[in-house]
Amino acid sequence: MQYRKVQVIGGRGEGPDRFRAELQSVAVDSRGRIYAAGDSEIKVFDAAGAIARRWSTAKPPLAVAPAADGSVYVGEAGQIEIFSNGRLIDTWRNAQLLGRVTAIRFTEESVLAGDASDRAIRRLDRHGKLLNTIGKDNPVNGLLIPNGVVDLGVDGRGVIHAANPGKHRVEQYAADGRLLGHIGRFNGTDPAGFTGCCNPTNVAVGECLYTAEKAGPRVKAYDFSGRLLAVIAGDAFDANCKNMSIAVDARRRLYVADTVKLAILVFEEVAG
Amino acid sequence: MSADMTRRGLLGNAARGAVLLTLGGGTGFLVRKAHGQVVWQVDVTRCLNSRLGEVTGDGCRLCTSECVVGLSAVRAVNEYSKCGRCSICPAYFDITSAVDEHGLPSEKLCPRDAVTRTPIGKVDPEDPANNYYEYAIDEEKCDGCGRCAMRCKEPLGLGAITLRVRYDRCLNCNKCAISRACPQNAFIQLPIEQALQAQEVKRSGS
Repeated sequence: MQYRKVQVIGGRGEGPDRFRAELQSVAVDSRGRIYAAGDSEIKVFDAAGAIARRWSTAKPPLAVAPAADGSVYVGEAGQIEIFSNGRLIDTWRNAQLLGRVTAIRFTEESVLAGDASDRAIRRLDRHGKLLNTIGKDNPVNGLLIPNGVVDLGVDGRGVIHAANPGKHRVEQYAADGRLLGHIGRFNGTDPAGFTGCCNPTNVAVGECLYTAEKAGPRVKAYDFSGRLLAVIAGDAFDANCKNMSIAVDARRRLYVADTVKLAILVFEEVAG
Repeated sequence: MSADMTRRGLLGNAARGAVLLTLGGGTGFLVRKAHGQVVWQVDVTRCLNSRLGEVTGDGCRLCTSECVVGLSAVRAVNEYSKCGRCSICPAYFDITSAVDEHGLPSEKLCPRDAVTRTPIGKVDPEDPANNYYEYAIDEEKCDGCGRCAMRCKEPLGLGAITLRVRYDRCLNCNKCAISRACPQNAFIQLPIEQALQAQEVKRSGS
């Protein structure tokens, strides 16, 4: 598999389609609209990369996730805000369980929130009530998160894939919190491994597993057994990037947040 | 008390103790000095080994080679409140070395073996990657070369390790040899009151 960069969205600047200081999270919905969280607001871009909508959030957003019903969930410190057509419709506040929400994903019945404060994943029902916590004890120290970001994805079978950068792994969990297995290992020279103190920092799940690393920043694709399929981008990002949020759409296009250039880089598979 | 609280307690106590231990000698030395004097210190925002944006290379060694004090008055200091306690610390391991049978890098980074590590909290004896570690600098071995600081800084690490002048070792020369050699002008003079204030901030933040 090979990928090429096909588009750059946003970038550092003052305009409505630009980011002044932060680009924390990127997501894409089933219609190909791209959601970006940063600078105390949510920006929505159309599939061509033009700004379509933006709205403010109560606190600086750390994660954004469009749900199947069209609502948009935003993770913040101490709460999740839920918007519909840019209007706030609900806020789930809980300083203990939602200390710092850096990822939000959905299963058929539940909302998954990565809480970087407690280094855990909260599984909530559709009303925000806690069902169970995932990743706190697996079996010893839970998620080892030195970077301040818990990130996860959910595959078509409902299996949760959580980045555990301190262990240089992506761990798989059942919804009830059982650790099912992991892929990944430390290696400072082999591209199939994860290097540095703590990688991968971010993950996305589509037909395969995508990971983002820091120092040096790169994005890779693995099959679910852990076999490296591709190094998608190794030199496209600013060398000081870290915690690069990634998202994948139905066409297998990959959206990666460059946290220094404050741009969303779009990659697609090269045919053949 | 929950297991998690136990781990948090251990981490917190270890951090507080280590910071006080680290700062204690220097602080005591400072308060004995006369009011109005100045002391030398490293400006970590300018130091090549710790400032953000420099992500390659082995770092600058001028603090080691230029200081008139044997083994240098500059030491690496691990600020525990920032340390991630990673299982694979780039300041401890040479992360580019071959991986051993435990899945860890086979070589250490420090040429003087001045960085030590100890598992803390709940320990998984089966899997080294499953543990938290406390990293400490052996000041009798450290010569302030800065390799660990270079590898600890963001984005590779968390910037917990920086080079600092140890006030109880520094001769406080009027014309500090390091300051004259430093191409980044990172060796600066601080009024003692300001140096003490910085250390108090560190204490309260620990």
